[in-house]
Amino acid sequence: MVYFLQVLYAVWSRELKRSLRESGQLMGAFSRPLLWVLVFGVGLSPFFRTGLRETSFLVPFTYVQFIFPAVAVLNIMYPAVQAAVSLIYDREFGFFREVLASPAARPAVFLGKLLGGASLALLQGLLVLLLAPFVDVPMPWGVFLACFFPMLLIALAFTALGLIIASRIQSFEGFGVFANTLILPVYFLASSIFPLDPSLTVEQQQQIFPPWLVFLVRINPLTYAIDVLRGASIGFQQFDPLTGWLVLGLSTLGLVGWAYYEFNRR
Amino acid sequence: MTTAEPLLYAQSLRYRYGETLALDRVSLEVPPGFFALLGPNGAGKSTLVGLLATLLAPQEGEAWVLGHSVRQHPRRVRQLLGLVFQEPSLDERLTVYENLSFHALIYGMGFGHARRIAQVLELVELAEWAQAPVRALSRGMKRRLELGRAILHRPRLLLLDEPTTGLDVQSRRRIWDYLRALQGEGVSLLLTTHQLEEAEQADQVAILDRGRLIEQGRPEELKRRHGAARILLSLADEALAEQLLREQGGYREGERIGFETAQPQEFLARFMPQHGGAVRHLEVRYPSLEDVFLKLTGRALRDEGPDGRQALLAFAQKGGEHTR
Repeated sequence: MVYFLQVLYAVWSRELKRSLRESGQLMGAFSRPLLWVLVFGVGLSPFFRTGLRETSFLVPFTYVQFIFPAVAVLNIMYPAVQAAVSLIYDREFGFFREVLASPAARPAVFLGKLLGGASLALLQGLLVLLLAPFVDVPMPWGVFLACFFPMLLIALAFTALGLIIASRIQSFEGFGVFANTLILPVYFLASSIFPLDPSLTVEQQQQIFPPWLVFLVRINPLTYAIDVLRGASIGFQQFDPLTGWLVLGLSTLGLVGWAYYEFNRR
Repeated sequence: MTTAEPLLYAQSLRYRYGETLALDRVSLEVPPGFFALLGPNGAGKSTLVGLLATLLAPQEGEAWVLGHSVRQHPRRVRQLLGLVFQEPSLDERLTVYENLSFHALIYGMGFGHARRIAQVLELVELAEWAQAPVRALSRGMKRRLELGRAILHRPRLLLLDEPTTGLDVQSRRRIWDYLRALQGEGVSLLLTTHQLEEAEQADQVAILDRGRLIEQGRPEELKRRHGAARILLSLADEALAEQLLREQGGYREGERIGFETAQPQEFLARFMPQHGGAVRHLEVRYPSLEDVFLKLTGRALRDEGPDGRQALLAFAQKGGEHTR
């Protein structure tokens, strides 16, 4: 048991050391949320309560407040998937052999890798919460803790997803293409930057938005994850909170299980 | 060196990659000491090492390391082995110390490993580099670090897969110095190589070709069994040379004449009192493992061209096409 934890610690701390020494990644962690909050958030705020919004539902918050939790999620997604790059790197440059040839238990190595990636992702997500006072999102300890857990689950889920992709893909180039074609659509189709109006029925939504869009947003698990976080941070949820937690919990569990399977297969 | 209990024992190991048979019923007994596995590229050496290190599971056959089965107790076997892979396997972004510390943890040495690391760094002469990131190290230094890492957890047997490939002569010599020092400390070595000079120094050599183990024994023994010594003479008296060639059945090699014999000492003991006065130059060429290999396989070990990947690597190191 002690040995198991030592292996886990070794792999976990290695992930952290490697990433924290990479200045490029850290730059991204700071600049990405700033860009989103400042440019999108501030820039689009004036349009948020005009046009079709007046006729349907009066939202009790600004656009910056609305996208704030989604920006935190974005800052989790990028580094989480980056964890996969580290796995491909290990494989390509031989370090993986050192680990696989050791007597260390596979589950410990896997957990170290997963938690390492997830810790980094979570840290960068929490970084975004530092911006809370500037976008009028009060963040007392209670709210912070309420945000922490959904963010942790999201970090685990996306790190697991990254590890799955890395196990399936052979090269760095392939990974870049795959990650971009997967991440951005999933993110944009998660009601991250626009709300599906909660006061409307599905039929009504489909009159405002094209039906395919409503459909894609509603089947996207990330929609519910962001929704839960939005509930925790600004007290606004478009969907039933229980459904949200269920979808978030089950997707995380499923992805982690799948990642473990993929990891053990090789 | 040879004691009763074999360090490593393999029985009818067989391994194929799809259609290609990489190992064909290889049985092997490795006594403590220094054991070399000699063979050209693609002979199956790395596959054999992979099986012994439990990185590959044997498809047929079985092997034991210090009595532990590689099939049933792979983790126990791994604990007893130190590995130096053919390809580099360090984390370039971590420091020298961190690489070793990582190894200590995943080999169950716990956190009290600083002293052992210092000891190992001293041995491979990298103590001043402990805090340097690995990517700042030269190729030879990286190899030394890998060697140090492999012995960190005090393995009983060190498996080295072509440890000096791609190193310059100086680094190569240094690696050899460390290996000898390790032997002095009672660590046994099993080394794969396609270089004869390396195999010559081993206590025991096994020759592997096309997945089959074709011969095993002490280097001198193999040479005696499969090669004859050659005596090359340069004589002042041309008539005598002609006569000797006729009588003894020798051959010409440029200016000199040569004779093959299994007992060069006896030959010379007979020859010198009679004809010693006519000898201008004399050379005794003992058989090399190269000769043994040639005799056993009908092919020269050195003529083997580099395989595709190595050729590509060499090409890339020259800077590829663009620099020309």
